[in-house]
Amino acid sequence: MIRNTRMKRISIVSAVAVAGAMVLSTLPAQAADPGLTSTEIKLGLSSPQTGLAAASYGKLPKAMKAYFDYINANGGVYGRKIKLVARDDRYLPQQAATQTTKLVLEDEVFALVGALGTATHTKAYAAAQLAKKNVPDLFVNSGFSKFGDKTKYPTTFMILPSYAMEAKIISKFIADTPTLRPQASFLIAQDDEFGEDGVKGFVLGGHKFTAPATLYPQGGLSSALAEGALTSLGKLPGNPVLVLMGTTDTTATILKAAEKLDLTTKFNWIVGSVGGDATTLKALGVKSTTIDGIKAASFFPDAKDTTDEYVKQFMIINTKYNKGVAFDNVVLQGMNSAMLTVQALRAAGKNLTRTGLIKAIEDKGSTFASAGLTSLNYSATSRVGYNGYWFGQLNAQGELKPYGGTRKIYTTDSTTVDVPVPLPDTYKRKPIPKNGIPTN
Amino acid sequence: MKNIYLKKGLVALTSAALVATFAVVVPSVARAAEPTCSVAPLALYNVANVTTCTGVDEKGSKYEIRMPKNFNGTLFLYSHGIRKPVNLPPIPVVAPAGYVVDYSPEVAPSAEVATSLLKQGFALAGAGVQAQGWNLTEQTYAALLLNQEAQRQFPKISKVVAWGNSLGALTSQTLAEQYPGVVDAVGNMCPSDSGLAEITMAGDFLWGLKTFFDPRIKATGYSEGTAGYLEMLGDIQLTLGVLVALKTAITIDPLAPKWPTTSGVPVAYQGIPVRSAVLLLGLISGISTQSMTYDSASGPAGADETTFGLILSPALAVLENGAEAAILAIVANYDMEIRAGGVVFDNSKTDYSVRLGDDGDVYAGALSGKTFTGYLLSILKASPRVTANAAAVAKFKQMYDLQGKLTVPTINLAATADHITPPGATTHLLDLYDAQVAKTKAGVEGGSQAGLVTTIWNKPSDTYSIFKDGKPVTPTIWPNGTGHCNYTTSQILLVAKMLAASAKSGKSPSALTVKAAIKKDTNLFVDPDYRAPLLKYRQ
Repeated sequence: MIRNTRMKRISIVSAVAVAGAMVLSTLPAQAADPGLTSTEIKLGLSSPQTGLAAASYGKLPKAMKAYFDYINANGGVYGRKIKLVARDDRYLPQQAATQTTKLVLEDEVFALVGALGTATHTKAYAAAQLAKKNVPDLFVNSGFSKFGDKTKYPTTFMILPSYAMEAKIISKFIADTPTLRPQASFLIAQDDEFGEDGVKGFVLGGHKFTAPATLYPQGGLSSALAEGALTSLGKLPGNPVLVLMGTTDTTATILKAAEKLDLTTKFNWIVGSVGGDATTLKALGVKSTTIDGIKAASFFPDAKDTTDEYVKQFMIINTKYNKGVAFDNVVLQGMNSAMLTVQALRAAGKNLTRTGLIKAIEDKGSTFASAGLTSLNYSATSRVGYNGYWFGQLNAQGELKPYGGTRKIYTTDSTTVDVPVPLPDTYKRKPIPKNGIPTN
Repeated sequence: MKNIYLKKGLVALTSAALVATFAVVVPSVARAAEPTCSVAPLALYNVANVTTCTGVDEKGSKYEIRMPKNFNGTLFLYSHGIRKPVNLPPIPVVAPAGYVVDYSPEVAPSAEVATSLLKQGFALAGAGVQAQGWNLTEQTYAALLLNQEAQRQFPKISKVVAWGNSLGALTSQTLAEQYPGVVDAVGNMCPSDSGLAEITMAGDFLWGLKTFFDPRIKATGYSEGTAGYLEMLGDIQLTLGVLVALKTAITIDPLAPKWPTTSGVPVAYQGIPVRSAVLLLGLISGISTQSMTYDSASGPAGADETTFGLILSPALAVLENGAEAAILAIVANYDMEIRAGGVVFDNSKTDYSVRLGDDGDVYAGALSGKTFTGYLLSILKASPRVTANAAAVAKFKQMYDLQGKLTVPTINLAATADHITPPGATTHLLDLYDAQVAKTKAGVEGGSQAGLVTTIWNKPSDTYSIFKDGKPVTPTIWPNGTGHCNYTTSQILLVAKMLAASAKSGKSPSALTVKAAIKKDTNLFVDPDYRAPLLKYRQ
């Protein structure tokens, strides 16, 4: 599953017009923006490559690089090759600030792509003066709705739906599912902007849990705490719905606690997309039998779904340019962001500038081809990427199959009580460009 | 985690010792006299044939001028940083051997720097101001008088560079702004912000310590005379007690340390790990999350590496930095209240939730989650606040406030993790200067010309925490980029070299020139767009 890259996301749109940045594009010829030569476009990525979070997100840089290498081998972008400079922030805010600043000042990248994490990127964006330097900040892997605030983050474009959107759609899923609706329900969530957005989303979605949410700080959920929480819930009658919204490692802690207490079949597990990556859950020691049957949301096709044209093409690229790396949700996410980046660069034209790139995404980003199953929502006033989910059920192999046999995709927003609506039957995802090479 | 740095133990202070040490500091009678000059090889600076002139200015400040035989025409006029304004008995951390107010003149940031500059043919001068503490007015005047005296004694001085550390940097900048034409270049190293901005930072942290951990700390409103002095010393004792208790608690259980027994916070809230309360105080007051030992960017190799860097290191850094900030708050506040005639710190209208800002997201994990952060903020919100004495504040504000009116080349050197004078002070100066340049561009008289300022930022290495057997180890010296005015000699000399050149050319070095000059120093960077966060007082 995808959203599933356990990466945090966004939402919320600000409706402030950009003016200052536009002025630059009308100026006469001037020195080229950093990171550009006639033969190269230098991009930067700060993400965890080592440390605890690397187990979950470590494949991202290589996946993006693999796709860029593929594009370079096929002519690049208007003759320029893309060079990705990837720095390791170990998922630590201080390191993210340092590495992002280095990307801008030392590596002199043209734009940032795929920065990952809320705490890390919040600190990095300010420290590296991205707004002041007008550095495009593309397809940030965070669900933090504030990143959609164009006033505060004028160069940022989100890609992931927000936690609030996900919570609203989970609310609808529970309400629409006869086997879940009558059960007691509980939420265990990470107590940061992730849980904050999530709790807000459930309120907006009209779902009332049986008890107040159990919130834990990042890094603060021990096995003992998880076992304590499950022991008391395990005494309840029926099969309570247990929604988990946290990172994959904490999801794994809870599921392993359930295994220890022999409670894996006691609950109707709903795992948030951020913490529901089956490959990583297995790597963290969760049994296949536990994963089998977990319900989860996603905005992507499943990474094992070889009938999907995007998955199929990205797998081909992965095999050749990312040798030895298993294709999973993170690889899919990385390649998808890389493909969006190429389309954005192309949309900005041959006379590439930072301002031109930002404007190109505002003007044309909603038309870019993408593996996501909902539309992209970029415009002059919106920095929101995807805005919807479908519900599925994991099997023992870790595949996410549509719940009830048919994939139903719902879209929503992060701020209203409007009920999520099914994606119209008329909506068709844009086909992948031939051979996965954009020609927009 | 047993090596958490908080210099050693607490020695009990006795009333007798305090009283015996108390001394009313009376400056010597003001009178200007001819300086005494001599030429001799100097043992201290190891530079031969340097003429040294010492004297006392009309306000009673001691001064010293050192003139090398190979003088090249440029004088470096140095202003020193803040010194304690009162004598102190032996106090751990603060003054282990006791302290007697220091009025000695200081001609350079260090003996090494002085030696090098003298060898290069630069003259040096500096004062030891007759009034210590937050003495911006007195120190600026002392610098002005010293400059005049130096030029009277040595007419061959053709260029003057005013430079200083910390409060001395504020002094140098003030001298240049208040007396245009007196100096030819200005060097601001680890510059201080205004007194109110600085005392707000340190005062918020101290008030937070009082509110969370020991309500007996007075923090503000010291009595007059001996009683006030004893209150101040008593606050130091209580604060050190709190800091030691916090250190001990974290040493015993880093993840869930207990609150000090002196805390007045309801027991129900004391389930929150006390390290998170410490971190919160650092974040709302603006104290750096990088300290001598803790870089907030690494952890011991192994399973806890990320957790340490993410959850523990920022709080430990604040505790380490906060120890000095809190003591500074006590001594500085005491001094400022005496100077101004009343309380100058004010948090009566401070919204600490706003102060926390985005740091609430950045450090959500280390703060033990948003729910607990909300609880801690609610305690601060509900606690009694301090209202300043309006007359005292007005009197304090009579001191010069920077305008950013640069008329000569100015070079700033500021460290991103300085825990005493945060780099936001430099940002404030840059913002003021930008406004003055904008005025000029708009045709308004009295503004500044563009291109007069260059700022070099000093940062710590990406990671510098040291771990042995899984535990943090405190280094013997502060890593470059951390600490207060903790620059290397070569960094200071680089700035001096550029200042001398700027004084002659009338131009600040370009960013490209500086970039080339610092390319081998990985702890320095230059970026005209970079702005460190302003002090919380100004946000």
